[in-house]
Amino acid sequence: MTTRLEPGAAPASQPAPGRDPDVVLDVRDLRTYFHVMDGTVKAVDGVDFQIKRGGRLALVGESGCGKSVTALSIMRLIDQPPGEIASGEVWFDGRDLLSLSDREMRDVRGGEIAMIFQEPMTSLNPVLTVGDQIMEAVKLHQDVGGKEARDLATAALRDVGVPAPERRIAQYPHELSGGMRQRVMIAMALSCRPKLLIADEPTTALDVTIQRQILELIKVVQERTGTALLLITHDLGVVAETVDDVVVMYAGRIMETGTVEEVILEPRHPYSRGLLASIPSRGRRGQPLHVIRGVVPNPFRMPEGCKFEPRCPYAWDQCKVEEPELYDLGGGRSSRCWLYDARFRERLRRFEAEGSEFVPPEVLTELTA
Amino acid sequence: MSAVEEERAPGPASPAEAPATRPAPSADQTLVRIEGLKTYYPIRAGLLRRVVGNVRAVDGVDFEIRRGEVFGLVGESGCGKTTLGRTLLRLERATEGRAWYGERDIFAQHGRDLKILRRKMQVIFQDPVGSLNPRMPVSDIIGEGLLAQADEKNGWGTRRIRDKRVGEYLEIVGLRRDYARRYPHEFSGGQRQRIGIARALALDPEFVFADEPVSALDVSIQSQVLNLLIELRERFDLTYLFVAHNLSVIQYLSDRVGVMYLGKLVELAPVEALYQQPRHPYTVALLSAVPEPDPRARKPRVVLRGDVPSPANPPSGCRFHTRCWLREQLNRPIECETIDPEFREIAGGHRVACHFADRVDPQSVAKAAAIAPRVATAEAAS
Repeated sequence: MTTRLEPGAAPASQPAPGRDPDVVLDVRDLRTYFHVMDGTVKAVDGVDFQIKRGGRLALVGESGCGKSVTALSIMRLIDQPPGEIASGEVWFDGRDLLSLSDREMRDVRGGEIAMIFQEPMTSLNPVLTVGDQIMEAVKLHQDVGGKEARDLATAALRDVGVPAPERRIAQYPHELSGGMRQRVMIAMALSCRPKLLIADEPTTALDVTIQRQILELIKVVQERTGTALLLITHDLGVVAETVDDVVVMYAGRIMETGTVEEVILEPRHPYSRGLLASIPSRGRRGQPLHVIRGVVPNPFRMPEGCKFEPRCPYAWDQCKVEEPELYDLGGGRSSRCWLYDARFRERLRRFEAEGSEFVPPEVLTELTA
Repeated sequence: MSAVEEERAPGPASPAEAPATRPAPSADQTLVRIEGLKTYYPIRAGLLRRVVGNVRAVDGVDFEIRRGEVFGLVGESGCGKTTLGRTLLRLERATEGRAWYGERDIFAQHGRDLKILRRKMQVIFQDPVGSLNPRMPVSDIIGEGLLAQADEKNGWGTRRIRDKRVGEYLEIVGLRRDYARRYPHEFSGGQRQRIGIARALALDPEFVFADEPVSALDVSIQSQVLNLLIELRERFDLTYLFVAHNLSVIQYLSDRVGVMYLGKLVELAPVEALYQQPRHPYTVALLSAVPEPDPRARKPRVVLRGDVPSPANPPSGCRFHTRCWLREQLNRPIECETIDPEFREIAGGHRVACHFADRVDPQSVAKAAAIAPRVATAEAAS
C-alpha cells in the first residue's frame, strides 16, 4: 500500500512509525474484520492517518463507512470474536497499542486516551452519582486520595460550565438534561488530562442550540488543555467548525484527505463532491437537490474495483476492474480515485473544470452583512 | 440479509413548475385552520393516580395552512411540533381549541365523516424501521389502509385491485413492483421511507403530515427522498405540513415556516423573510446555531444559555425569557417575565410573539454574538 498522508514524503524518508515526536497518533494500514454467519465484513480495510500533538482531525462519512469501528479499534474495544483486528499498527505516543497487554491497555484507556460517545445516558452508570463516576476515573489513573479526587471532580465539572458543581456532584444521571450529561462525559474524559480525546458523534443526539453549546465547549477545552482531538461524525457542518483536518471514509476506506477548507471548498473525490452537493442548504429552492444515486454497497458483495464506482457519475471502465490507490496529491491532500493516475489527465481536467459549483447558502445573509 | 441495490432514481422532476416559481396561494385558499389549539398530557402520581399537573405539549397555537403549500414547522425536541401534527390528524386528543379542514370541524367528525377525513389527511412517520410492521409483506403494509377505506366505488376490498394499486404506488415512489412480496428488513432506510410514502399516497390524500421524514437518513439518501417528496407534491397537488428540526431541509422545502418553542408558535413567516430577517430572538439563535460547512458563509453566533425548560412548568410571561439574549441586552424589562406576548403581525404574513421584535436587527445580533460566552454555562440563571 502506498497510502500515506505526509505530503510528498518518499517511503524511505518517512520516519518509522511512532518515532515522530510531533505525532501523537499514527494509524497504519488498520484492518478490522467481523466474521459473521453470512461471511466476513471488512468494516475497516486499510486505513492510515496521523494526528499531531494537540491537533484536530475528523473522520467523516455515512453510516457503515467504518468511522466508528476505526475509533473502537484504536481503543481496542472491538469484541473478539466476532471482530478481529486483522492487521495494522496504532502508534500512540511511541507505543503500538495493538501490541500492549490487556492490563497496559486498561491504563491507556480513560487515562491517556479518553472517549466520549453519542448517547451520554447509556455511557453513564445510572446507579452512581455523577461525582462518584468522575472520582472513579480520577482515582483509577492518578494517585490521589478521596478528598483530593472530590476536589478534582468538582473542578472538572466547573471547567465544562456546569453551574453549582458542588451540588451537581451528588446527582444521578437521570436528574440531568441531555446537554448536561454530555458536559459530565466531557468532564470525566478530561479529568485525567488525556493526550488524545476521541469524540464519537458527540452532538448527534442533541438539539441544535445545545449542540452549539457543546461544540463551543469541546473547542475551548481542547485549546486550553492542548489535548489532540479525533472527531467522528457524519455532519460536514460540525466538521467544518471543529477540526483542522478531515479524512473522508467510504466502505471501510479513506477516499480523501486534506484540511477542512480544502476538502469542503475543493473536494478532490467524486464522493466528497457528491456529499457536499447533497446538503439541502446548497440547493436552490424549487430545483431538485443533487443526488448520489443508489445506496451504499452490500458489505458481502463489494464491487470489484473502486467501491464507489456503482454510484459515481464520473466512473468509467477502469474503475470497474481495479481499485485505485490513495493518490498522494501533495500538501497533505490525497484522493482514492483513478482520475489522479497520470494516464487519465484529460478526464481529471474535465472533472476539475466542472468544479463544485458552490452556492452560498441564503441563511442569514442579511445579518452577516 | 439482501439489501436491494437497484434503486430507480425518482423520475424526472419538473423544475419548470418549481415551488419558488408557482404563484403563492392566496389567503382564501386556506385548507387547514387552527385556533387556540392545546394538547396536554396529564401527569399522574400517587396511589390513586391523581392528575397532579399537565405536560403542555401544545399550548395555544393559531395558524392556517394554505392549499398547495409546504408549511414547515421547526423547533427543538419537546417543543410540541409532532404533537401538533398528530392532534390535527386525530392521532392525539385535543384538550382545547378548534381546527378546520376546509369547512369541516376536524375534532367534531364521527363515523363515516371521520373515515373520509382520515383518507384525506395522511402521515409519513420519522422512523422508517419502527413504522413498518416487520411481519407484514409490503403489499399488506400498503394495502392495509386501502382495505380499511374500501368501498363499492373504489373496489379496494378486492385483493387483485388492491395489489394492482400497491404496485402502481411502489413504482411512483421509485421502487419495483415486485418488491410488494418482500418484508421491511430486506430494504435500506431510504427504501423503507419510500414504502412509508407509498402507503400514505395510495389513499389519494390531499394533505400530508410529514413528521421528520428524512432525519433518520444519511445525507446522500436524504436528498433522494426530499426530491421525491417535491416531485410527488407537484404530481398529486398535495399540501404538506412538514415537521423537522433540520433548518436547512425546512428552508429548502417550505413556502412558509412556523417556529415553535415550548408548545407555542413564536414566529411565522414566508421562508425568505424568516431566514433572512428573523424577528424573534429564539429564531435568531436557532438559525445561528446550525453548523455551517462553508467557511465563507459563517454567521454571527448567538449561543443560548441553558436548556429548554420543562413543558410541565413553563416560565411565566414570555416562555423564552429565561434564555433570551435580547432581554439581557435591554436590561431585563419586566414585561418579559409577566406578560405573555401576543402573536402579532409585524409585516405582510410575518407574525411574531415578542414584545421587542422591533429591536431584533443586525446591530443587536452582532452585539449578542460578540458578548456570547465561549463556554456557555449549562443553566440559564447562574
